[in-house]
Amino acid sequence: MVSEIRKGEGPKFESTLRTRSNTIYDEAVGCLRTGDKKETRKFLSVAQARTFMQTVAIAAKTRRFLQEELHTSIRGLFYQLKFTLGEDIDEDLFTEQGESNALIEDLEVALNVKREDLHLTTDRKGFVAGSMKIKDKFGGEETTIDLSRQGRSGWSVPSDVDNNMEIDSLDADFVLVVEKDALWQRLNEDKFWREENCLLVTPKGQSTRGTRRLLRKLADKKLPVYCLMDCDAWGWYIYWTIKTGSMNLAYLGRDFAVPEAKFIGVTMSDIKEFPFLEKLTIRAKDVDVKRAEEMMGYPWINRHKDWVRELKLVLKTRKKLEQDALQGERLTFVGEYIKKKIENKEWLR
Amino acid sequence: MAEDMFEQFREHSVAEFFKKNRQMLGFSGKVRSLTMIVHEFTTNALDACEEAGILPEILVEVEELDRNKDHYRMTIKDNGPGIPKSHLGKALGQMLAGTKFHRYLQQRGQQGIGAAACTMFSYVTTGQSTKAVTCHKGKRIVADIAIDFKKNKPVITVLEENSAEETGLTVTAEFKDVRYERSNYGVYEYLKRTALANPHCSITLVEPDNEQTTFPRSVEKNPNRPYEIQPHPLGLTPHDLLEFAKHSRENKRLSSFLQNTFARVSAAKVNELRELTPKLNFNKRPDKLTWDEAERLVKAFSQVKWIAPAMDSLVPIGKERVEASFTNIFNPEVLMVTERKPKVYRGGIPFMVEVGIAYGGGVSAAQKRGEVMRFANKVPLLFDAGGCAITETIKTMDWKRYNIRNFEEEPIAVLINLVSVHVPYTSAGKQAISHEEDVMLEIKNSVMEASRGIQRYISSKKKAHEIATKKKVIGRYVHQLSSDLASLADADAERIEKKLNKLIEERYVRRKEEGDSTENN
Repeated sequence: MVSEIRKGEGPKFESTLRTRSNTIYDEAVGCLRTGDKKETRKFLSVAQARTFMQTVAIAAKTRRFLQEELHTSIRGLFYQLKFTLGEDIDEDLFTEQGESNALIEDLEVALNVKREDLHLTTDRKGFVAGSMKIKDKFGGEETTIDLSRQGRSGWSVPSDVDNNMEIDSLDADFVLVVEKDALWQRLNEDKFWREENCLLVTPKGQSTRGTRRLLRKLADKKLPVYCLMDCDAWGWYIYWTIKTGSMNLAYLGRDFAVPEAKFIGVTMSDIKEFPFLEKLTIRAKDVDVKRAEEMMGYPWINRHKDWVRELKLVLKTRKKLEQDALQGERLTFVGEYIKKKIENKEWLR
Repeated sequence: MAEDMFEQFREHSVAEFFKKNRQMLGFSGKVRSLTMIVHEFTTNALDACEEAGILPEILVEVEELDRNKDHYRMTIKDNGPGIPKSHLGKALGQMLAGTKFHRYLQQRGQQGIGAAACTMFSYVTTGQSTKAVTCHKGKRIVADIAIDFKKNKPVITVLEENSAEETGLTVTAEFKDVRYERSNYGVYEYLKRTALANPHCSITLVEPDNEQTTFPRSVEKNPNRPYEIQPHPLGLTPHDLLEFAKHSRENKRLSSFLQNTFARVSAAKVNELRELTPKLNFNKRPDKLTWDEAERLVKAFSQVKWIAPAMDSLVPIGKERVEASFTNIFNPEVLMVTERKPKVYRGGIPFMVEVGIAYGGGVSAAQKRGEVMRFANKVPLLFDAGGCAITETIKTMDWKRYNIRNFEEEPIAVLINLVSVHVPYTSAGKQAISHEEDVMLEIKNSVMEASRGIQRYISSKKKAHEIATKKKVIGRYVHQLSSDLASLADADAERIEKKLNKLIEERYVRRKEEGDSTENN
């Protein structure tokens, strides 16, 4: 850009287009990724001047973090860049965190790096318990964390599991991801992970980038990844984000997707086998129905016949089922349910 | 005794007739009546000054004597040639006795019913006589003019007679049943528009609250005098024809009357008329012409192919003059005035349309929004706007095409002057132009022509504003971007900033000159 300016040209940079039309499903890998369409961002354009300046400001700031070997959260970055442009200018560099968050994504795409590589962190949310040890180099110290000795709280997944962090030892046959923290706590108390020799993970709702990245790394170690979610719009969305990645972050591609993941429940078909669930169904909301209809339209979903069948059942009965229903009969029933599902390979892909 | 009663009755009836029929003469409504009075005296003054080659200077003073009784005193003073003693009574005291009747030329006075009607109006409403001070050819006469209703004759009492160096006429009269108002129909607006159409005159108005306004002269030369032409057959009504015929003493036959009185009527054309009206005797005395015959003749006129009347009988205000007076009175941000050739309507009546459109600047400051100022032969038309072809044309214009989003709310003032020896009025009130197809089309074309100029201005201004905005929007980010780029590339921030600013300057100034609107996204 500097040389462009010196040559008397307006500064610009090229970036992959992040529109929905440039989001494609990579069949070979089984994840969403961005297409080949590019766009050019220009400073000498009224519509783009402000975001252009902001993007460069983020770049300059993160370069300094890298030089100083320090990390900051995306919120921290926002606050560092939230200042007035000049004494005679009644405008701030950034006014809302939404602005900087979106531009961080732009910068990742344009530079083809992950934000974690730019020393930007996000809030932690996911938790893990199981027989795994992790070496964590942080703040000039190295600690080994034993995930089987974290008591009731579990190990909190950091936003960056790649830089200065590695798996020291791992002894598990599979990974179990449960949507809700409540269920994770139930299974943790039941020592499910020890009995079944698995890693027990909860993203606590939608997965953070750190959790998704961790699941990817575990899948790379040939561990099967089983997911237990609600049978509703939100549960499906969380599962598919883990499996194929989200459209918004499609540019992250395979690094953040786990196409091997399997959906073991809960499903509307479970009612047939466990009649007590019938009483615990809830009327599906409009958003659930709409989401089910949308999903049937996505090529990466409707290629799985068992999913189509399950979604049709939801649309027909207009009911949904939450994973907590599995504790309806007996608190410890859920463990039996999972074991049965995995043993009999009763899952949706 | 009986005769006395009859006399009384007659006296009474003239006054009653006037009272009952004064709407016909334009005295309808209190505000309108006052405007009509001012109209009569100022048009007389302007015509007299122009005829005598004097640059007009007019003073109008309105005094409120008793607002509750709608009682006012009006003084109208001009610097014209004045009136000789012998003509004083006729000019100010006898209805239909002016100098303009039966003169066929483009003249303001065509509109009026004369100053005498004002004298009568004053007398009927207040019982007071009108006072005149006239300075004519070195003589100054102060006179009192009353009206003898019995004889429809002025009664002049000379109060003073002495010598004077200046010239001019001052008329003072009291009126009731009138009202002073600063509305769109009032005296102020009337005089302002008169000044607009007559940049060679200087008009001062003193309002009842003693506020004095002068519309100064902006052109130091009187307009060319229109010259008298013979009426063209296509402009005549049966009534006109009868009037001319009645006063035709020198012609013994209808055929010679037609040839001698009207333009473009040759012996050959008379023969054509003969063929069209086989039953009509063209050898009869013209003053014996009947209404029915006149009607048939007028119908025949429209079937004959005539040579158009002389076009140079039309005297417009003129482009430079409109520009000067608009600048003088409104000082607008932008002004467009048309200058178009005369056209004809009804197959042969020449007319001309002048349009001036002023936008922004003084128009905004004067709080004027979508103002339409209609004129006929430079005389403002304030009333009956609803039925007027000019108003209609403005209303039906697609103003959005001219970058004027909402005509009624934009700071825009439009002057439209229709010039013709025969203005097609809708009614005897002479305040609205009738919907003549040819006239309406020409008005529309003229307004469109002027509007295009305004449009060009507004859009170039918009563009310039857009460019300036763009420059400003982008410019405010230069400093921050430069310092970040410098820190990323380990370069010199000041140099980058300088170079970027230069880049923006070049890019957006160049675009403005080229008028290039494509934003390079």
